[in-house]
Amino acid sequence: MNEIVVTGIGIISPLGIGREAFQTNLTKGKTGIKRITSFDSTSLHSNIAGCIEDFDPRGFMSPGAYRRMGRVSSMAVAASIEALDDSRLVLDTMDRERVAVIMGTAYGSSSHVENFYLSFLENGPRGTQPFLFPDTVPNAPASHIAIFHKMTGPNTTFCQNEISAELAMLYARSILLKRLADVALVGGADELSPILFQCYDALGALNRVKIGKGQTMDPKPGRGLVLGEGACVLVLERDDFAAGRGAETYGVLKSGVVKGRITSVGHYEPEGDQMGRAMTMAMEQAGVAPDGVDEIHVSANFSGELERMECRQIEKAFGKAAMHLGVTPLKYLTGDYGGAGTLRAAAILMGFRHQLTPPTVTAAMLEGDPKHPLKWDYSTAGKSRCALMTTSTFGGGSSSFVFVNE
Amino acid sequence: MNNHILPRVAVTGLGIITSIGESIPEFRKGLLSGKCGIGPVSLFNTSGFPATYAAQVKKAELNGIVNEREAKRMSRCDLLGLVAAGEAMTDTGLDSDKAGTRNIGVVLGGGAGGMLSWEHYRRSLWSGEIRKRPSLLLPCACCSFTDLLANRYRLTGTRTTVATACSSSATAIGVAFDLIQTGIHEMVITGGSEALSELTFAGFNALRVMDPAYCRPFDKNRKGLSLGEGAAILVLENYDRARERGATIYAEMLGYATNSDAFHMTSPDPDAMGMSRVMERALERSGVDTNEVDYINAHGTGTRSNDPLETRAIKRVFGDKQARDLAVSSTKSMVGHCLGAGGAIEATATILAICEQVVPPTLHLEEPDPECDLDYVPGRSTPRAIRIAMSNSFAFGGNNTALLFGKGGNEKPFSASFSTNKPGS
Repeated sequence: MNEIVVTGIGIISPLGIGREAFQTNLTKGKTGIKRITSFDSTSLHSNIAGCIEDFDPRGFMSPGAYRRMGRVSSMAVAASIEALDDSRLVLDTMDRERVAVIMGTAYGSSSHVENFYLSFLENGPRGTQPFLFPDTVPNAPASHIAIFHKMTGPNTTFCQNEISAELAMLYARSILLKRLADVALVGGADELSPILFQCYDALGALNRVKIGKGQTMDPKPGRGLVLGEGACVLVLERDDFAAGRGAETYGVLKSGVVKGRITSVGHYEPEGDQMGRAMTMAMEQAGVAPDGVDEIHVSANFSGELERMECRQIEKAFGKAAMHLGVTPLKYLTGDYGGAGTLRAAAILMGFRHQLTPPTVTAAMLEGDPKHPLKWDYSTAGKSRCALMTTSTFGGGSSSFVFVNE
Repeated sequence: MNNHILPRVAVTGLGIITSIGESIPEFRKGLLSGKCGIGPVSLFNTSGFPATYAAQVKKAELNGIVNEREAKRMSRCDLLGLVAAGEAMTDTGLDSDKAGTRNIGVVLGGGAGGMLSWEHYRRSLWSGEIRKRPSLLLPCACCSFTDLLANRYRLTGTRTTVATACSSSATAIGVAFDLIQTGIHEMVITGGSEALSELTFAGFNALRVMDPAYCRPFDKNRKGLSLGEGAAILVLENYDRARERGATIYAEMLGYATNSDAFHMTSPDPDAMGMSRVMERALERSGVDTNEVDYINAHGTGTRSNDPLETRAIKRVFGDKQARDLAVSSTKSMVGHCLGAGGAIEATATILAICEQVVPPTLHLEEPDPECDLDYVPGRSTPRAIRIAMSNSFAFGGNNTALLFGKGGNEKPFSASFSTNKPGS
């Protein structure tokens, strides 16, 4: 059976624009979570997020190309440009119908939804701004990528809260294995808009940290979500296709599983059984035993519920000693968004290439025990062969992936 | 004909709610009798809009399916979806207790999701109301109904929401098909739900693509689409397993394809290459020859650009002569353009056509456009031998999907298999 390899990465993230900046800042242990300056959060309970302040689409495309794109779409297209360049695919020599674009986003362009609806509220039925409406659909980022690169293959978007990008990776893997495409650009993207932040605040879901200008922040696990934004696109290919064109690979997307669980609205699955099952199944499908896993990447997002569940399931899968294992909660450095799955995958894959595993905390720290303040371990040099990435979302979905450095 | 190396996929359960029928028997009756569900909208104030009609679900007591407390936390999209899901789950013999013991997937298409609920919240914020209801935000995400359905029926398999605008639920059916063909699941609940909202109503009006009265697909004087709302849920199942358990197989799903025009966010490719290719790929991947297809449930929006391009694409794929032998109809002329639920509602209409061997009509087609010169079955449904049928969905962003269905193999006349234990038959 064929394997699915990753041959290109493009990143627009709170930890840096471009994969090199992301990798450098991640390895140095910088955080992308900062005081929000792009909109006024004075009346809200939080003013921190994983914001991207230095993204300028002009660095990637002409004004004519991005003029009508929402922020999330321009970030996604920019990430796709970097990923394609990294993969060294020459589209002009390819059948573009054999290139798929599969994206995951929780909300798409929430700012376009807000601005279009506000134009209706303020100006009435005949005073709306029609150019804002097309990008209100969540598939806008995937469509803009296809339009920008003239990719006419399968094109689909998944929206499943915090596992949106994970579902995109699974589907892309499936259509490549079925040979419905030779290459898939698979990505995750979300934007941090004032309305989205305000809605999460109104629901009481945010980590109630307010900081002043120039102050650093210290969100604590268990005190609520810290939101983020960004776009990351991966170039996936079957190994035979990649080998045929002599492509350099980052690693293999060996397996992926998604499961559901009965859950209350707005909450994570209570015990994490399905997350545990997804982890076990992903390892089985990849032919990897727990002791063969060198890195564990968790989806902890400061919510507390998710941290407790992940700790419980890691302990079940890896035994009592698991609480001393290093795990990477990347969302602690970037904030949480629906399309974050591909960025977390990129952190694993770039670590494989550079033999630098991303920073870790001990699993025990995730539970936010005051005796275990959040302390990062940056001793990251060394070859890693296998990484497990778990993600759960509020609403009840859990996924697990195994990446192998071959 | 069909490639049987991979597992075959059966359709073993159906449920629906639309403006022309709030159950499968009612929908069937409305569809075959050519009922139009398009008319004035009462959900929100439409005065001032250039076009004011849409296909709104009439039933006032949507909340009857859940208790009042539950309903407060649900959007209209969730409620419409639960009506359709309840019918489909009963139809396929899954009550909630039994469902919990099974690894069943849920793959639904989402459109605006709980937009109407978000609009209520946003309006209260904008108008400075003191008492706001953050609970209105809970069902806003377009995956809200997916989680709700999976949780209600205790389904623990793959859980996914596809969002490709007007082709969302058609693509979702395709993704569900893959999950069965690849052996990940033996049964997947699929389809989609969509409720009218001010945002979509204002948006399509702003783009000036809505007919002020009702849509007239393929008519020379067509002025645009009519929005609609509703939900359709299909139960897809491993064919052999369905046969073993003696399930009624309404149709066999033969395959699908998705692609992108890669042209423009709102305008279709003027050469109709994306539309043509998606139909070609669906046929190729299903192992179906063009001369085996008897009916196409067209995307047929009634916009100036879609209808002649879709006609041209059909003629390119099937050839002029075969295309003229096909029956092509737009059921949007009855139920409106139901956006995220449109693909599933039209797939259900397509399956019904196969079961009944009757082609549903295109309403309001009085003066054919010279550029639209196929048999669109104007005005009245027509008996026809249908071996294989295709359902097209084309969306914002250039997202195209084509689905293919064939006869189920042990089907009874649709009315006989469905109406025996259904209310409203």
